[in-house]
Amino acid sequence: MRRLKRYLGRYWRRYLLGGFCLLGTATLVMWIPWWIREAIRIMEHDGSLRDVTFYAVLIGAAAVAQGIVRTYSRALIFNAGRNVEYDLRNDLFAHLQKLPLSFYQSQRTGDLMSRVINDISAVRVMLGPGILNLVNAPLYYVYALALMFAMDARMTLATLAPFMLLMFAARKFRSGIMKSSLEVQQQMSALSSHVQENLSGIHVVKAYSQEELQTRQFTALNEEFRAKSMSLARLRGIIAPVMQGMNALTVLIVIWYGGIRVVRGDLLVADIVAFIAYLNILAWPTAAFGWMLSLFERGRAAMKRLEEIFEVTPAITSPAVPAVFQGLKQGLEFRHVSFAYDRQKNGSFALQDISLSLPVGKTLALVGRIGSGKSTLAHLIPRLFDVTSGEICMDGQDIRKLSLRELRQTMGYVPQDPFLFSTSLRQNLGFGRDEAGDAQLEQAVAVARLDRDLENFPQGLKTVVGERGITLSGGQKQRATLARALVADCPVLILDDCLSSVDAQTEAEILQGLRSILKHKTCLIISHRISAVKEADEILVLEDGKIIERGSHQKLISYGGVYAELYQQQQLSEELEQI
Amino acid sequence: MAEASQQEEILGKAYDLRLLKRLWRFIVPYRGLFFAAMALLPLQLAFGLAQPYLMKVGIDQYIGEGNLWGLQGVGLLFLGALLGESLTLFFQYYLTMLVAQRCLADLRVAIFAHVQELPMTYFDRNPVGRLVTRMTTDVDVLQEMFSSGVMTLIADFVMVIWIIGIMFYLHVQLALVSLALIPPMAIAINYFRVRARQTYRQIRERIARINAYLGEAISGMAVIQLFAREEKSYREFDDRNAAHRDAYHRSNLYEAALYSMVEAAGSVSVALLLWYGGGEVLHGVIGIGTLVAFKEYIHRFFVPLRDFSQKYAIMQSAMSSAERIFQLLDTPLTIESAKKASVPRPFRGQVVFDNVWFHYKADDPVLKGVSFRIEPGEKIAVVGATGSGKTTTIKLLNRFYDIQKGSIKVSGVDVREWDLRALRRHIGVVLQDVFLFSGDIRTNLALGDLSIPMDRIEEAARAANATSFIQRLPQGFHAHVRERGSNFSGGERQLLSLARVLVFQPEILVMDEATSSVDTETELLIQDALEKVMRDRTCLLIAHRLSTIRNADRIIVLHHGEVREMGSHAQLMEKKGIYHRLYQLQYERDVVKLAAREPTPEVYD
Repeated sequence: MRRLKRYLGRYWRRYLLGGFCLLGTATLVMWIPWWIREAIRIMEHDGSLRDVTFYAVLIGAAAVAQGIVRTYSRALIFNAGRNVEYDLRNDLFAHLQKLPLSFYQSQRTGDLMSRVINDISAVRVMLGPGILNLVNAPLYYVYALALMFAMDARMTLATLAPFMLLMFAARKFRSGIMKSSLEVQQQMSALSSHVQENLSGIHVVKAYSQEELQTRQFTALNEEFRAKSMSLARLRGIIAPVMQGMNALTVLIVIWYGGIRVVRGDLLVADIVAFIAYLNILAWPTAAFGWMLSLFERGRAAMKRLEEIFEVTPAITSPAVPAVFQGLKQGLEFRHVSFAYDRQKNGSFALQDISLSLPVGKTLALVGRIGSGKSTLAHLIPRLFDVTSGEICMDGQDIRKLSLRELRQTMGYVPQDPFLFSTSLRQNLGFGRDEAGDAQLEQAVAVARLDRDLENFPQGLKTVVGERGITLSGGQKQRATLARALVADCPVLILDDCLSSVDAQTEAEILQGLRSILKHKTCLIISHRISAVKEADEILVLEDGKIIERGSHQKLISYGGVYAELYQQQQLSEELEQI
Repeated sequence: MAEASQQEEILGKAYDLRLLKRLWRFIVPYRGLFFAAMALLPLQLAFGLAQPYLMKVGIDQYIGEGNLWGLQGVGLLFLGALLGESLTLFFQYYLTMLVAQRCLADLRVAIFAHVQELPMTYFDRNPVGRLVTRMTTDVDVLQEMFSSGVMTLIADFVMVIWIIGIMFYLHVQLALVSLALIPPMAIAINYFRVRARQTYRQIRERIARINAYLGEAISGMAVIQLFAREEKSYREFDDRNAAHRDAYHRSNLYEAALYSMVEAAGSVSVALLLWYGGGEVLHGVIGIGTLVAFKEYIHRFFVPLRDFSQKYAIMQSAMSSAERIFQLLDTPLTIESAKKASVPRPFRGQVVFDNVWFHYKADDPVLKGVSFRIEPGEKIAVVGATGSGKTTTIKLLNRFYDIQKGSIKVSGVDVREWDLRALRRHIGVVLQDVFLFSGDIRTNLALGDLSIPMDRIEEAARAANATSFIQRLPQGFHAHVRERGSNFSGGERQLLSLARVLVFQPEILVMDEATSSVDTETELLIQDALEKVMRDRTCLLIAHRLSTIRNADRIIVLHHGEVREMGSHAQLMEKKGIYHRLYQLQYERDVVKLAAREPTPEVYD
């Protein structure tokens, strides 16, 4: 809640001004019945039309003024709520950007999204309409009660009784509704998980002709949902009639009890009219009281959930005082690096005691079967994860001592899963370097062999690639991510099996084009294709997180181990391709 | 600009009307209840609107004259009206919700049933989450339309008419004075409504942009971090966020102005009433009670005007939800049983592929003229490199997809002429990734069909060698299965999927063998179970196990979507063609591994 106070503090002027406007509105609202009373009094005493007109004009003027002040009160407070929403959303985004990959792997995007969207909205409702009503309700009550007591104390007490009863009943009632709506929510989530599961396994459903049975099961859950929704509706349905009835009841009391007293001569019809007017004014804050409380309950719960996200400390950050780093001069080095995804679960190391060195200007290649730890190793270099033990050094300096930003700007990374943003191709290619010129883009496009594809895109580089690059083929996406890293033009290049969906012919062309670029770069290539790695200065073979073979292509072939076996298999596949 | 938006509005109205008509079809079964709810509406209004009139009578006739007996009578009538209004209000809401809940439940089932019948191509293209949203969130929005949108709009409209009528009945001039503000108000409300509508549209677009950006940033966070792009992304997000906030600032102002204006107009009308009515009272034309009644009617008149824009927004989002729902319901079912579907009897497990051509995407054929024939009881293994079309072949047999050219015949009848359900009941499918539903083991083996007797299930489990691990579970066949069967090992899931086949006893078995490795003991159990499952069945297997190809009567070699070789293992090995290489590539490792693990010769024979 401390965070919330900070936001509120930022906009206290608006809230304060809004509060004053509310006070002004309430004042004007409250005096109108009083003047109506005066006007009717004049009528009752057969006064002059002039005096009545005076009060009519007064009321009219107050109404207009009230309209203006009320507009400002609502706009100011609701806008302040929107401002906090804006700040909260920005801060959350900034925070999310700092969280490491491990956080995103443990969260489902959909869950995170819905929490962020729904919770922020609940907080906003609390700070807009919630606060407005929180100020308004007591203001109206105090004002109206004071004026009503000023008119007639006994009458005030008589009309207040049902109100008190109502507030008490409303509280009891609300807990019933809360319970019932929780049940509805639970049933709804049961229903949607049934749908979710059914659709994920639709091939089984179809293969076994279980469509009708599945529909019957869904119908049963759906019926239960309907029944629960109906009992909630029954409870909800009682509220409005009870509120309206209570309000009418107080009016009845005023007329009945007031009428008797008018006949007795100790009250005026004007007082009755004014009382009815005040009761009308109080009807809304009374009815909305429970609603307002629920806004605060919901808002606080939502804020707590958001706070949970804010409280996740970014595990991977720059040190407070980063070491000085002036460009890569010597190279990269792994010193006895071990890594486990979950430190709590001991024993399952994804990488064990890896030592390697990658001098500036050289190319190192990693091969190995799926799950051997190749990508994990690559992830450690830009610190997507931190090593569990050992250290990774750049020019002899532990990378954890460098500024995260500088470290990452040193390397162009092409991930295994080609992720593109739903912007234009040009924006995607310039992702690491917005200021890249046409020449640079063209060169990268040519090396990644995207040039032929571009000819087929009517809008060329301006083509919008759609969500996650959905309009592109797998190979096109991979080549676009390669081009993106080339445009960034960093001294280190890491290629994480990034050409797996590219056909052999194109791959050969790309490798050919890369050759001259790699001369000026320090490069780590991961591939399951021998053709992509055989020209590397050194090749490491990983298995179960350990380096089992290392050396040049020739050396490894003559050694006759895993690498040689892989090479043989690859040749067989290539032969197969050509049959 | 104005013309364009006007035209859009007209188009929108025609469109909304069509959507409402379609929704009406779901209400029709409950029209009795619906009309009952509607019939309560005038009654409820009459009770409500009687109250100010009774106030007038009470004040003018009885309080003014000092007639307490009469006042008591009016009081009782008022009490009656009050109870009547509350009760009718409750029942009207209750009946409406009864209709709403029932017809929306029907709608949900209709969507679900429709989705069950959609072709696999649809699921390939549409994420599951989107379909779930149709059945849940979108239907929910429609419920809100019922509970606080359309019904109250109708009620409000009727009430406004009633009030005008009563006012004119009571006093024509006073009615005219009280309602004098209505025409300028209508103009002003319309002005704000058009403005608000524009900002609402902006807001919807902008929030969608924020959420899209956020979703994308969350899924692509690694890329943002790798390219050290946090600051730029933050600025981009901030732009979207600020644009959304600004649009809301505008709409808040419009809404606040609209709300305040209506409230102010109500008070100004009261002032006019006092001014003109005051004169009439002083001249003795009307009593104070009439003035009070008018004031009450004005109050009731302005409330619906104030809430109109809110209800309008609810209607708008309900219409877009309805549109999305009907779009889904209109998705054509491209794979259905033929009109005169046949169920050939007796069933012979014969399968014939005749010059089959198939593609998922035009110009990219996966199968190019595949022909083969499987006789009843024959066991065929399909082998080929990745992308050769193996998996596609088995998906075509039970008509998950329709082929573009050629024919596939099961038991002598083209699959497109079969009754779809009957066809699929004859073909048991075991896919690589065994899918288990959450529930218990029994429901998974019987796929929820409670009519299948327990002993048949137990028998199947025993034959599939699944009994031993099931019995080790505390609840046996009622042991809980978590979503996607995540609490079972890969081997256990495979055994369960084989047991499932045995429960349903299909004549044809189609299997894509799992590639995931299991421990030796489980491997032996699976192989033994597999042998039992394959016995006396026509089998089409995508083989990943050496034992499976060895047990096959014939092997079909698919290569780049064509059948390139066919024959027994020995024949094909001798040929030294594609199969020979594939064998070296895919299966030879098995020989080495198995030999290393389990030296007894019967293991791989």
